[in-house]
Amino acid sequence: MNALKSEWLKLVSVRTTWALLVAMILIEGLTAGLVTGLSDVDDLRTRDVATLANGTKLAIVFMFTLGALLSTNEFRHGTANSTFVVTPKRERVIAAKLVVGLVVGIAGALLYIAVNAGLGLSILSSRGVDVDADTAVDTYLGVGIGLVLGCLFGVALGALLRNQILTVVTGMVLFLLAGTAALFIGNDVGQYFPGESLLALNGTPGADDVLLSQTEGGLVLGAYCVVLGALGMVLTRQREIS
Amino acid sequence: MAEIAVQRLTKRYGETLAVDDLSFTVDAGRVTGFLGPNGSGKSTTLRALLGLIRPTSGTALVMGRPFHELEKPVEAVGAALDAHDVHPGRSGRGHLRTIAAAAGIPNSRVDEVLDMVELTPARDRRVKGYSMGMRQRLALGAALLGDPKILMLDEPANGLDPQGMRWLRDILVALAAEGRAVLISSHVLSEVEQTVDSVVVIGAGRLVMQGSLADLVKGDRRPILVRSPQADELRALLVQAGASVGPDGRPDAMIVHRSSLETVGTLAAEHGIAIFELTHERATLEDRFLELTGESGNVR
Repeated sequence: MNALKSEWLKLVSVRTTWALLVAMILIEGLTAGLVTGLSDVDDLRTRDVATLANGTKLAIVFMFTLGALLSTNEFRHGTANSTFVVTPKRERVIAAKLVVGLVVGIAGALLYIAVNAGLGLSILSSRGVDVDADTAVDTYLGVGIGLVLGCLFGVALGALLRNQILTVVTGMVLFLLAGTAALFIGNDVGQYFPGESLLALNGTPGADDVLLSQTEGGLVLGAYCVVLGALGMVLTRQREIS
Repeated sequence: MAEIAVQRLTKRYGETLAVDDLSFTVDAGRVTGFLGPNGSGKSTTLRALLGLIRPTSGTALVMGRPFHELEKPVEAVGAALDAHDVHPGRSGRGHLRTIAAAAGIPNSRVDEVLDMVELTPARDRRVKGYSMGMRQRLALGAALLGDPKILMLDEPANGLDPQGMRWLRDILVALAAEGRAVLISSHVLSEVEQTVDSVVVIGAGRLVMQGSLADLVKGDRRPILVRSPQADELRALLVQAGASVGPDGRPDAMIVHRSSLETVGTLAAEHGIAIFELTHERATLEDRFLELTGESGNVR
């Protein structure tokens, strides 16, 4: 419990946390507003609620970074020294970071959904576009879980790589580039990359033939988090802090 | 039982031997200076004691146990490794609260410690605006949170102004007087010589000496600065007595090697020579270290 409280304090006591969340919400609000407000009505009708999941890939950048900072700030700013002197059972620290990542991930996802649904759905309805309620629930569930997993992915990858810039760059490549590039050159393995798993989880339309199903996408992304998190814990235990 | 016991500690990084078969002990109730030139293995030794790195061989024990086996590490050891080890965007108080929370220490203790290190007026300011001296105080504050029996401070005087040095000296002496073991590292002897009771001197990862400060200064061969209106006469007498005398740049002053303050003073008195100044040149620990070991340089 002590490690958990400490990690929570670390998260909320720096402005970057709030800046990232606010930036995500602002950009998200803007995207949802613009896409629903400016797109062709017929287009919107065809795509249904999926229009609103468009901004998730951008939001994942913020949530991943938030998670990555939770782990890598320790090494970026040298606080790993006092952290691991005070808590020599280092796996507890990483576990606490993952729990905090889960909590802030859920909070971020709820905020995201509130803004996205509140703004996007009301604009859609004002333009006379009805969305299918079941699809909307599925989409938002996928989007929400995606954001939470994105944040956990950041914590876990950060614990593994330690270097802040390396972690953020690796994350961006994995979420935004690698899978797309693999699929582009016709390699099916691309659908198992974090970015593509996330798209599948979000229920991205018209991509059923290239992407995994929504459930599969979620399971693959979740598996990444579990494996990386476990590896992060084991390595943090074994590695030297110098 | 010694509070800190390093036994045949060796730490190797690839080809580099950072600590080489080092043994020493640190007792409670005194301030022990852990001295050595930069790169001599001081920080590596402290990290091994704190369980942050694993010894290649040998042991580094705190209260008779490896660090990770201590039941309540914060109550046993308070450590400050680097005053820069703090998130610049956090306030001083926020920084200490994160550490206190991890150790199960109440926030009231944070404010108490901030008071001790005289940072209360700046406690809510972000650390990025702190001076080096303030960061050193904050690091000491963090080390004191658990009211530990042992304090390990790596270069705590680094970046302190003269008032800060005096403050640090007073607080460390007081903490040791309460029965704590205080181990402070430094690469500058003059920085700590008024604070420490005993010293552990290392060079190139090896123990050079362990003893009292008096032991270290005994046989001091630092150059002597002499200033006299009869400089030429004194110079001749000193050379005759076997010392080697070099110029200082001023006509009435000289630098004397291979002699002692006592010899120069007595010689001058015997010959009715007035002395305006007679003192050891200030020397860094590197100088003393080189004298002690006869080695040149510590870059390995």
